Amino acid sequence: MRWSGASAVGAVVFNGCRIPEEELQVESPVDMPEDLVTGIDNWYATICRQDPEACGIIVRVVEGRAKKIEGNPDYPINQGKHNARSEAGLQALYHPDRIQQPLFREGSSEDFSPISWTDARRKITDSLGNLADKSKFLLVTQPLRGHLALLASEFVQAYGGKHMAFETLEQVTLRQSVKDVFGQDRLPDFDIQNSRYLISFGADFLSTWISPVKYSRGYGELRQGPGKRGVHVQVDSRFSMTAASADEWVPVKPGGEGILAMSMVYVIIRDGLGDRGAANVLTGGNGYQALDAFRPDSHDVVEATGVSEERIVELAHVFADQNNQPSLAIGGGSAGAHTSGLFNLRAVYSLNLLVNNVNKDGGVFFNPAPPIERLASQDVMNMGVPASFRDWKEMDSPQVLMIRGVNPVYGLPPDANFVTAVENADFVIAFSSFMDETSAKANLILPEHTYLEDWGDDVPDPGPRYQSMGLQQPVVRPFHAETRSFGDEVLLLGAALNIGLTGRLGIDGNDNPTFQDLLKKGAEKLWMENRGSVRAGTFDGFWNGVLQRGGWWDTEAKERAIGSDPRPLDTIWPNISIEGPTGEDTYNLIPFLSNSIADGNLAHLPWLQAAPDPVTTMVWRTWVEMNTKTAEEKGIREGDMLEVTSSNGTVIAPAYIHPAVPPWTVSIPVGQGHKASEQYSERYAEGIGVNTLSILTPIVDGDTGALAWAATRVKIKKTGEHIDLSRFEGNVPAFELENAKIVQIAPPN
Amino acid sequence: MKRIAAIGIVAGGLALGGLVTLFLVLFVARAWWTTPFEVFGFGGAPEQPIAFPHTVHAGVDILVDEDGNHKLDASNEEMNGLGLGCTYCHRNVDKGASASIPPVEQCIFCHKTIGTDLPEVAKLVAAWDNKEAVVWERVHRLPDHVRFVHEPHIRFFTKTGNLLPSGEQAAMAANVCSTCHGDVAAMAEVKQVRSLKMGDCVDCHRNYSAPTDCTTCHY
Repeated sequence: MRWSGASAVGAVVFNGCRIPEEELQVESPVDMPEDLVTGIDNWYATICRQDPEACGIIVRVVEGRAKKIEGNPDYPINQGKHNARSEAGLQALYHPDRIQQPLFREGSSEDFSPISWTDARRKITDSLGNLADKSKFLLVTQPLRGHLALLASEFVQAYGGKHMAFETLEQVTLRQSVKDVFGQDRLPDFDIQNSRYLISFGADFLSTWISPVKYSRGYGELRQGPGKRGVHVQVDSRFSMTAASADEWVPVKPGGEGILAMSMVYVIIRDGLGDRGAANVLTGGNGYQALDAFRPDSHDVVEATGVSEERIVELAHVFADQNNQPSLAIGGGSAGAHTSGLFNLRAVYSLNLLVNNVNKDGGVFFNPAPPIERLASQDVMNMGVPASFRDWKEMDSPQVLMIRGVNPVYGLPPDANFVTAVENADFVIAFSSFMDETSAKANLILPEHTYLEDWGDDVPDPGPRYQSMGLQQPVVRPFHAETRSFGDEVLLLGAALNIGLTGRLGIDGNDNPTFQDLLKKGAEKLWMENRGSVRAGTFDGFWNGVLQRGGWWDTEAKERAIGSDPRPLDTIWPNISIEGPTGEDTYNLIPFLSNSIADGNLAHLPWLQAAPDPVTTMVWRTWVEMNTKTAEEKGIREGDMLEVTSSNGTVIAPAYIHPAVPPWTVSIPVGQGHKASEQYSERYAEGIGVNTLSILTPIVDGDTGALAWAATRVKIKKTGEHIDLSRFEGNVPAFELENAKIVQIAPPN
Repeated sequence: MKRIAAIGIVAGGLALGGLVTLFLVLFVARAWWTTPFEVFGFGGAPEQPIAFPHTVHAGVDILVDEDGNHKLDASNEEMNGLGLGCTYCHRNVDKGASASIPPVEQCIFCHKTIGTDLPEVAKLVAAWDNKEAVVWERVHRLPDHVRFVHEPHIRFFTKTGNLLPSGEQAAMAANVCSTCHGDVAAMAEVKQVRSLKMGDCVDCHRNYSAPTDCTTCHY
């Protein structure tokens, strides 16, 4: 008895001291990958899909696991640079809340239950097969480019449905203005790098605008490159990260950007500084007098822009000065998000014609067509053009809706009636890796591979001014067994519906063709042309070369579309309307894309939630930026909770007091305030901040129907609550070093 | 009588307690300085999911069966071990930190045709067919705060001709790996032979004028 007692105690004691079982085991992997050496890393080139910019990235893979993302030094767009958003792609891959199998719910039920891929595919085939009016099928995606655009375009056409591309805070006016001024369908390449004088109207190009990694790289060259240091002036209604980096920030009244640019045009032509031919075309041959409404000495101009006459004349003179050439004017963001959005951007881009910088160093370079003919067709190019707010509002309600990779239920203001369209549809299919507001409303959720596990390609837009294509390859095997590729599923669906999709795509020679086969088919065309960065005797050699480099480009292929003559400028004063409550305590609301979580599509990644905002150093929340003096007058302190009310709703967020906020505005970042549904939580994204987009007044630019998202007026009221802000700066008192004096930022008197 | 019996019980209890304590102290002391006694599953060779014999694969000696008789092949010849080099399977040992356990696929290169009738090989083939990893019991394991990288050790011993100088140790170091792992080729079941405690590492580093800075291993 004693012995057994002692040995039992002994066993417990000794075993308690032992190392955990799993630590004492070691696995033999089943297969032997030829390129796998334990503990040695491989770097694979692919494309980042966190941003529409789609940078080329290289991913460090150790023992089959992706460990680190860096910029691809070869890739023409970002040339080795990348940003925090690309870096956080790993967290999307390993995210604990990835949907791991297809989920289905009956129309009435709130709860999803898992089903097999076979059943899920049958449900889609049935719903699409039984649809009487094929035009009642709508495919909603992000703006698509490359072969996925080709596939989606052919699928929609073969089936007979419709497609709409969704972009939060759409840049519809930008595309239209580029078309009107330069006659280009594709966005041009702005040569910031070689410019000597850069004036940007509302474009936060160092943070989120169009191609920020590329522009940031160019900006470094502008400032610190071998040539003469360039000067950057930011005309912006908000003190953005780009404005903070500029040599000079011109705080313009919201909506007045176009008036300011027109006034500059007026001065340049009046003083005979710019290109005479361009001046003639822009004024319709009527000379500067045609633009008389925009004389800088007119009271209206000063009132609309908030900029003095002398300052406007100086800006115009410096911009057109021979010593400052090449000079460059760009615009977008909040400058294009007004009821006069298109007018504003047309005026801004017309400045370039006056200094004659088109297709010249330091100016605006037009981009050639995609290198593969099929990808250059109008139908395919249209897949990359986002729908305007008016398009969403006026769309026919679809019966079968397929949504891929976007969250319009969250991102469209309530007046677009998208939620109603989703709720009224008979069957809603969502391809998504995560549960979000849109997928929670679907009937069927299909878990997709993340981009690090999937094939794809990209035709950069804007391109690097020569023909280029990026190739996206799976750098790791799918992390979950039951996720699939969107491209492959569309091909399978096409086969099941028997609509001759593979025939249209020219891959019907393959048995069970996949999306990878379609990419190879395109690559074969490039290989046969035997030009550009990768050439090889065999197609396999070419394919491997393209995989290794992360794409293909031909720096010699610069053949550009000839721009048609620019439209003469509008000579009539535009309608600048800012709607919402009026009177005491009202301000113009300037929403802006977050530097880290962008429009909210990355809010589920904790690295990005924790990345401080570059201007305020705020993390993990929404805040209201307010002018120091105004706040003082109103008795608002940092951290006071504010009720922000538009004519469309109210959000509550804490105040951030800051001297560089124009006193007539408040700024709130977008992207937070997520809530998928009562049943499903969005870890890391939920319960943080508010959805700024939900209170935007739904007014549009008259010409394009684009949402005037910077034209909402709001009333601010203290709730009486106060919180401590989670931010990086100011937590420790600054101390002065011998060689580095503390610089105080104070509001101007 | 009762009193004597009580004293006897107390004395017996004390003696037993003393013995247990002594054993515990001995056990801990031995485990502390070298390898633990082979009791309660400590020390010794752990039982593996597949009884992989290094003698057959790495050894060159004549093989014997359980009864001590020489094993004979199909043509009644005495069977020898194959004499495979360590790196034939542990391919990563001269490249990285871990020596690496070979993937199942590598075993199958040969066992597609060889020894398929043996029960242990059948387990392996089953794992391959089911695409299941084989989970082995670790024999050598260093604490988490120690970084041991095989590659520089192998390089030092093979490329610089620095094998142990003389006597018993030299005999043991018939090849590089056995410096630390013992004569694995002669082990039907692999067990740890050196203490691989910090003293052991530092002694060896001193003998070969290798760095003994803390951050050499603890970083």
